[in-house]
Amino acid sequence: MRHILVGFAAFTRSELANLFQYRVMMFLYALWDVVNPIIYLIVWSLVAGERQISGFSRDDFIMYYLVFMVVSHLALAIEVYTFGPLIERGQLSPRLLRPIHPWWHAAAVNISYKVVNLIMLIPVWIGLFLVLRPAFPGDWITVALFLPALAAAIVLSFFIGSLFAMLAFWTTRSFSFWQIWTSLLFLMGGQVAPVAVLPGFVRDVAVALPARYALGFPVEVILGQLDAGELVMGFAMQAGWIALAALAFAFVWRSGIKRYSAVGA
Amino acid sequence: MTADISVRNLVKHYLVPVREGGLRASIKGVFKRRHRRVRAVDGISFEVARGEIVGFLGPNGAGKTTALKVLSGLLYPTDGEVAVLGHTPWQRKRDFLSRMTLIMGQRQQLFWDLPGIDTFLVNKAVFGLDEPTYEASFNLLSEMLELGDLLYKPVRQLSLGERMKSELAAGLLHSPSVLFLDEPTLGLDVTMQQRIRQFIKDYNAATGATILLTSHYMADVKALAERVIVIDQGLVLYDGLLQGLVESYAPHKTITLQFEQPVEIKDLERYGEVERIDELQFRIKTAKDAAPGATARLLADLPVADLSVEDPALEDVIDQVFRTAAE
Repeated sequence: MRHILVGFAAFTRSELANLFQYRVMMFLYALWDVVNPIIYLIVWSLVAGERQISGFSRDDFIMYYLVFMVVSHLALAIEVYTFGPLIERGQLSPRLLRPIHPWWHAAAVNISYKVVNLIMLIPVWIGLFLVLRPAFPGDWITVALFLPALAAAIVLSFFIGSLFAMLAFWTTRSFSFWQIWTSLLFLMGGQVAPVAVLPGFVRDVAVALPARYALGFPVEVILGQLDAGELVMGFAMQAGWIALAALAFAFVWRSGIKRYSAVGA
Repeated sequence: MTADISVRNLVKHYLVPVREGGLRASIKGVFKRRHRRVRAVDGISFEVARGEIVGFLGPNGAGKTTALKVLSGLLYPTDGEVAVLGHTPWQRKRDFLSRMTLIMGQRQQLFWDLPGIDTFLVNKAVFGLDEPTYEASFNLLSEMLELGDLLYKPVRQLSLGERMKSELAAGLLHSPSVLFLDEPTLGLDVTMQQRIRQFIKDYNAATGATILLTSHYMADVKALAERVIVIDQGLVLYDGLLQGLVESYAPHKTITLQFEQPVEIKDLERYGEVERIDELQFRIKTAKDAAPGATARLLADLPVADLSVEDPALEDVIDQVFRTAAE
């Protein structure tokens, strides 16, 4: 276990150093992380005006998308872009030769990306908060619950992103499958609208699917929009989906690596 | 002697999609995919003893690299048994990965945008090297490969040769007992090739490591390997001493002659197959046993200014092996 921790820390240090080489690119990525939620924030706060939509006031929408901005950044899965191409191009080989599972390196890439991006995101976020000054409807309990919900969303998102990345063992077009997941996140994960605002049937589907638990759920938790029953159910769903995704991850890795052909490498 | 590498009937087949050119074939391919089975390795067996350096030879597509990838645990074989340092490679156990390395001429484990030293520090951590072990290994490799300040420049700014030296050092930092080297001198200039060759030789002498090496440069093979395994189309064609390969597949010598004055070609033809280089220079391919007698008679009967007797070039011998196999 010690060698995993030491190795993971070494990967993270190198990947951080690597990312600092690409400051402009990282700035543009961070900009996109900000722009996207701002669009929804503006649209929904205009639609809401002085009334409430499914219990959401104008301030609630602003706060929702401000928190969403941070959560969507931290729970972003990048493995289809970072790990999938290694499989396709045979570049996984050097990583398979090291006595540490290659996914530890992938996790280090994920965390480094988010740390560097967060450094650029924080000042923008503070600026927006000071300009918009929304009321925060949560309390210290919702903040305390937010942290495990966020951690679980990050883990679930990493597993799901990794599953799609590993499709590269079978197809050179794993991106096409990835689009299905991003569409699901967009519609039912709390991106285009908070899940609570979705119409009845769609909301029921969203509550059952994993997208909400990998993205919107922590935002709902911190804003105090869920009663005790919904919170328990939400955490249970997160745990369930993580367990399922972890099992699928182990199975897909084991089958996929047997098909790895190290083309050109 | 203990065998560090043991391979029994190793088979690795790939299924590759095939289709003819044109729109019609593309549309057909949407509904029905055709595949072809490529027999990259088709039942090879051999053993390599501890401390041996073995040259693994064959033309492009012979299956050398595929075999090395299976032996180093990158690929799962279709069939067969392999043991490297007592491990089944594709299980990729920590002990196995910590004691072997695969270095490929065109492949890089180095972080492209960072100085090589960053990759070294990562390897130090993941291989679990303590400070004194790391220092000792780093100093030894630095000295043997004359790394100097190379490791402190971003990898992307290094020349091919400098990068190869850094790759070798990064791959050997954990002092592996088994080395799989795939074209370690590919694309390097002659000086750098010699330096890498010397390094491999010194490393083997200093550590007693077992080395299986592929190379298209026969100079590498001649300088490093006493024993060679020749494979083509996934099959072993020859496994034995390099000298034995020359004797078995090239039972002739080449006599190169420089005359003082022009001679008749018919005077030379009785000694063997004649090739005229210019008016005064000829090359005669003669049976190995007949070479001493032929040399003596040539010197006695003809106005010879200079004469040399050589084994054929290793490239020609290997070519002869492939042609014999094809026949």
